[in-house]
Amino acid sequence: MDEKFDCIIVGAGVAGLAAAMTLARNNIKFLLIEKGEFAGAKNVSGGVIWGQDLAKLVPEYWKDEEAGWDRFINHRRLTFIDEESAFSLDFKSRHFNEPPYSGVIVLRSKFDRWLANKVEDAIAESEYSMDSFIATNILVEEILMEGDKAVGIRTGDEKFYADSVIIAEGVNNLLTRQAGLQDKYVPADHILTGVKEIIRYERSVLEDRFQLNGLSGMSNEFVGYATRGVEGGGFLYTNRDTISIGLVLGLKDLRDKELKPYDILNDFKAHPVIKDTIRGGEVVEYSAHVVSSGDKRGIPEKLYKGGLLVCGEAANLLMNAGKAIQGMDYAMRSGILAAETIIEAKSKNDFSITQMKKYQGNLNNSYIMKDINNFQDAVQLLHNPVMYQKVPSLINHFGRNFFTIKNEPTKKAREMMGESVKAHSSYWELIKLGLKGARSL
Amino acid sequence: MKLLTLPERLGLISYRNQAKSEIKPHIRVDTEICNTVCPHKCTTYVCPANCYTLDENNHVHFQVEDCIECGTCMYACDQGAVTWEFPDPETGRGVTWNFG
Repeated sequence: MDEKFDCIIVGAGVAGLAAAMTLARNNIKFLLIEKGEFAGAKNVSGGVIWGQDLAKLVPEYWKDEEAGWDRFINHRRLTFIDEESAFSLDFKSRHFNEPPYSGVIVLRSKFDRWLANKVEDAIAESEYSMDSFIATNILVEEILMEGDKAVGIRTGDEKFYADSVIIAEGVNNLLTRQAGLQDKYVPADHILTGVKEIIRYERSVLEDRFQLNGLSGMSNEFVGYATRGVEGGGFLYTNRDTISIGLVLGLKDLRDKELKPYDILNDFKAHPVIKDTIRGGEVVEYSAHVVSSGDKRGIPEKLYKGGLLVCGEAANLLMNAGKAIQGMDYAMRSGILAAETIIEAKSKNDFSITQMKKYQGNLNNSYIMKDINNFQDAVQLLHNPVMYQKVPSLINHFGRNFFTIKNEPTKKAREMMGESVKAHSSYWELIKLGLKGARSL
Repeated sequence: MKLLTLPERLGLISYRNQAKSEIKPHIRVDTEICNTVCPHKCTTYVCPANCYTLDENNHVHFQVEDCIECGTCMYACDQGAVTWEFPDPETGRGVTWNFG
């Protein structure tokens, strides 16, 4: 491999693979480097890939029986929990049954490996079938720079050269920091720690318990006591014969409250409502990973240099504005956009900073940055203690009263709501929150 | 269902280079900082793999063997005690997720 590549991509997660797929289809000579034993070996996600971009990368992926995704989502549930109760918004629709699906649930060790095989297929069909590579088990330690322009990478004593480098290294973005695009020390403010278990069931048990049909699946997010008062929330997704259940915990708040993430996860699993939902399974994996909060202040100002682009969660592209936790779809789209910038650069033989800057422009014009910019209020609202502590308590207080039948004269719902508001908050606090909420969503 | 202890949970994880007696640590911790100036010693409770522990004298100790490369300590430590890198595929520790 003495020859120079058009592009070196660091990291074979969703962003890196999306970039690689786009490059392969456009006859660009690239090297995709992954530090894990295989693509996906080091990746952890919730995880749902929202939206329909996957069909762009792998057309009609739903027809592939060996496909790496687990289930498509046709059932959404948002649950507010206090210590003893759970109050859910539940939506299921036949509209979600037909491909292209609006979201697929994945397990990364399987999904990324499958997607990498699809990229290998695309390489085989390209002009550079013998010159483009996916190389695993290699840790990139340095981005090689000449002046202000990236010219390659170093791993151990070996150096590989290219006209451009795409950094898709994930949230722990050491190379992005080394390139000076983010501070060397990133504080905990806009970072959450995710902890998760994979619990296995007999497939028929899982399908009956969660009302699944064929490969349909459910996503359930949790707000409130799931996190024992720590900023953040919980999630439960159905895979083929397992569930992914876990929490994302605001790291700064976790530090302030002096709690252990695995203890909070056990408390969540022991919650009277959750306990019934997950009974009988066998835990087959415990995992953890940090994730960015979606607060714009966590995103590096510049995601490019001469010959250098940053995409996916290395660029902290992730958002939870209350509707869904979006990260992998952002990774996919930003990977595609980065690759498209490289394709244009090659056609002009111009890998200068001016050309690379176009990536940032395209990203700003895409739904990713439009949504991140538009929904900052919602992101901050979700991290407001009133929202993740008082509102769930209030809703469940109301639920208990509303659904209790006592053979006594019954109060009107409005009066009950008044009592719940007084018990857990105040009208003024809720009006303030409501105004913020109405604007933010 | 039965709740798992942390050691039971870590027992489910596939770590790399388990057969090697000597591994190159990918995280270095200056415990001198933890034990002299740090006001919270937060790594001893925020780490999801409990790689940071306190002894009877309230001193912080670190072991890299159980690390699952999540990154938590790199952000949580605001005292400059943690130097974080990715493990070397050949000589380091770290994980290979079975599900992820």
